[in-house]
Amino acid sequence: MGILLRPRPLAAALVCALLIHAAPLAAQETEPPFAEATGGWPSFLARAIESAALFDLSPVAPHAKGEQPGTPPAPDPYAAARPCQGCPPRSVGRAFLQTTVVNVFYGIANLVRGQVTARVTPKTWWENMENGWVWDLDDFVVNQIGHPYQGSNYYNSGRANGLSFYESAAMAAFGSATWEFYGETNKPSLNDFINTTLGGIAIGEVLHRVSWLMRDTTKSGSGRLWSEIGATVLDPVTGYNRFRRGDASRIEEKPADMVPSALSGFASAGALWRGTEHEPFQGAGQAFLEADLLYGDPLHGRSRSPYDAFAMTMRFGGGGPVSEARLIGRLLGEPFGKDGKFEFTVAQAYDFQKNDAYAFGAQSFDGGVAFTQPLSSHISLALLGSGGLTVLGAIDSLPVGVTEVPEEEPESDAGQGVSEGPRFYDYGPGSKFTVRALLLHDNAPFAVAFYEGRQLFSLDGLRANHFLQHARLDLRVPIYRKIGFGVAGEYFSRHTYYQDAAKTEKQFRYPQFRTYLTWDIS
Amino acid sequence: MGHFMMRWSLAGVWCALVVLAPSVCAAQETIDSRLWIVAGGTSATVRGDCQTCEEDFPYRHGPGILANAGYRVNPRMDVGAEIFWVPLETASGTLNTTHMDAVAQFRPWRTHGFFIKGGAGMAFIRNWVDAIGQGAINSKALSVVVGGGWAFRVEKHVGFELFASQHAGALGDLQTAAGDVPDVLGNYWSFGAALVFR
Repeated sequence: MGILLRPRPLAAALVCALLIHAAPLAAQETEPPFAEATGGWPSFLARAIESAALFDLSPVAPHAKGEQPGTPPAPDPYAAARPCQGCPPRSVGRAFLQTTVVNVFYGIANLVRGQVTARVTPKTWWENMENGWVWDLDDFVVNQIGHPYQGSNYYNSGRANGLSFYESAAMAAFGSATWEFYGETNKPSLNDFINTTLGGIAIGEVLHRVSWLMRDTTKSGSGRLWSEIGATVLDPVTGYNRFRRGDASRIEEKPADMVPSALSGFASAGALWRGTEHEPFQGAGQAFLEADLLYGDPLHGRSRSPYDAFAMTMRFGGGGPVSEARLIGRLLGEPFGKDGKFEFTVAQAYDFQKNDAYAFGAQSFDGGVAFTQPLSSHISLALLGSGGLTVLGAIDSLPVGVTEVPEEEPESDAGQGVSEGPRFYDYGPGSKFTVRALLLHDNAPFAVAFYEGRQLFSLDGLRANHFLQHARLDLRVPIYRKIGFGVAGEYFSRHTYYQDAAKTEKQFRYPQFRTYLTWDIS
Repeated sequence: MGHFMMRWSLAGVWCALVVLAPSVCAAQETIDSRLWIVAGGTSATVRGDCQTCEEDFPYRHGPGILANAGYRVNPRMDVGAEIFWVPLETASGTLNTTHMDAVAQFRPWRTHGFFIKGGAGMAFIRNWVDAIGQGAINSKALSVVVGGGWAFRVEKHVGFELFASQHAGALGDLQTAAGDVPDVLGNYWSFGAALVFR
């Protein structure tokens, strides 16, 4: 019975299948064959450069450089493959190819950096397949931000080639799994696979949509060029494909599903004061920058278009280079009740928090209900409650009796890139529930009360149940035009029940206070 | 040598099926039902391991059963639930594992049966004795699955598929007679065939 299970022939068969089908399948899509559309590899670069050169730097000239005014625009070789005007041409084969190229790119980058884990061979591939999944010992930031970002590149290989949200999600999983098995000599990491796939989907779709906010595809000139370059920084794979196809200079409408029904946001700069369990506020404040974005309308309407509404918070400084990143995107929404005052929502969330007090990261899914009530012609109240499951969460954790993270030991003989631990954070699944109350002025929140409770059971690391609570109250008032002033009070609580023989418990609480200036970026 | 030939023969058969399959699978997209049901058998290999263990744990082989039930989101995407059950007879007793996962299956090309699959959920592992240590008790685990395969349509609503998948069961600590074993992770490789109803 076990004969069938030694995966060598199976792997050979799968490789065989891929080799046989990859090329014709790629060509079956309606996009012109690669060589036909680009003239082959050498002229591909030339085309990309030409695409950039097509920008007419005059402020109002919608025709391409070299064309006379009134000359019809050059025909679009990909027109037949585009499901809508402005949409990328659909090609599943190219999405798979570019996902693999992303892996090769990261592999070469690691090789250039001198990482021994990048020295992959068919022997290491086979060893990884034989060994199966393990938990890895990499740094918290690498696993909770680095891998999700890498996953966003896989995901956007799908989006850039016309694949839907769910199809691109499969690309993220494909890229992540192939990286874990074939991209490094390290044993394939289960936590990396989950973080790269789910985090990659969340970050990838948000970056994809925000990059479309930056583009104004009805314009030409230097402004258009810089908007395309800026969007490429956020979403490099889509940007690369747009320059390659000449879309970056084509005058056309944006794809309809990349235009949000509503948009509001704030950029904030200020200082925060974090207390301790015994002292509410410490003297020295920490500077921070924060960006909050509310894309679409998460409170109303029937939605089957994932991430047509999402909320994003990014905080830089305040205890770490990136101290907080939260994304929550609606996967589906269904109104109910009289006049649609209630909205049922299923959402995906990505969380990262790292500060002086604790470090936490998670990939989760929520189900919730929202209620809205107009209070006047401009002001309305929104209440949201949700609960969900954390597929995998990470939380810093020190052994009982240890109060500070020990200093890192010098790198061992294992070589650069090999993480040998110890690792001072743990992984496990869990649950969460959240309540929010918002007062909105013309759909922009000016008062927000937020409470979140989380439970995490660590499967890898110190066995413990962690209960985290976070309460926050934000008030923002306009001062002059787009400039405003805000204050926020926060309270963090952490209760850990260790599953050691002594059933040790640890509790930690601290307040945080912030003042900031805001710039309305709606 | 016989085993070697058998393995590569199977690989050859697989390749042949893949080459011949497109015409059979081409009409798959005309199905209007949204139901997705899969039931079949597998040959499975199981290996337990832990982060700090020095031992080279054995590979155990046995049969398994796999079933999916779900919903076709669009012509390329199915979502649903999966149950994967593997009983393994060992010298110390029967090791029973049941994975229950939420899964999504993606068929990149409408006209071909090739699919990839991924999901996560829980695994229930009973009597993890022989793989890690003596006297281990029941345990719940975080389950993750990845896989791929090829589906063939025989009639409008009925077909079959060949698939390969890898399940992981992350148990955390395992209590044994000799003490706790930390960070235990079981890997399950499987290769099988199943009937598909749509």
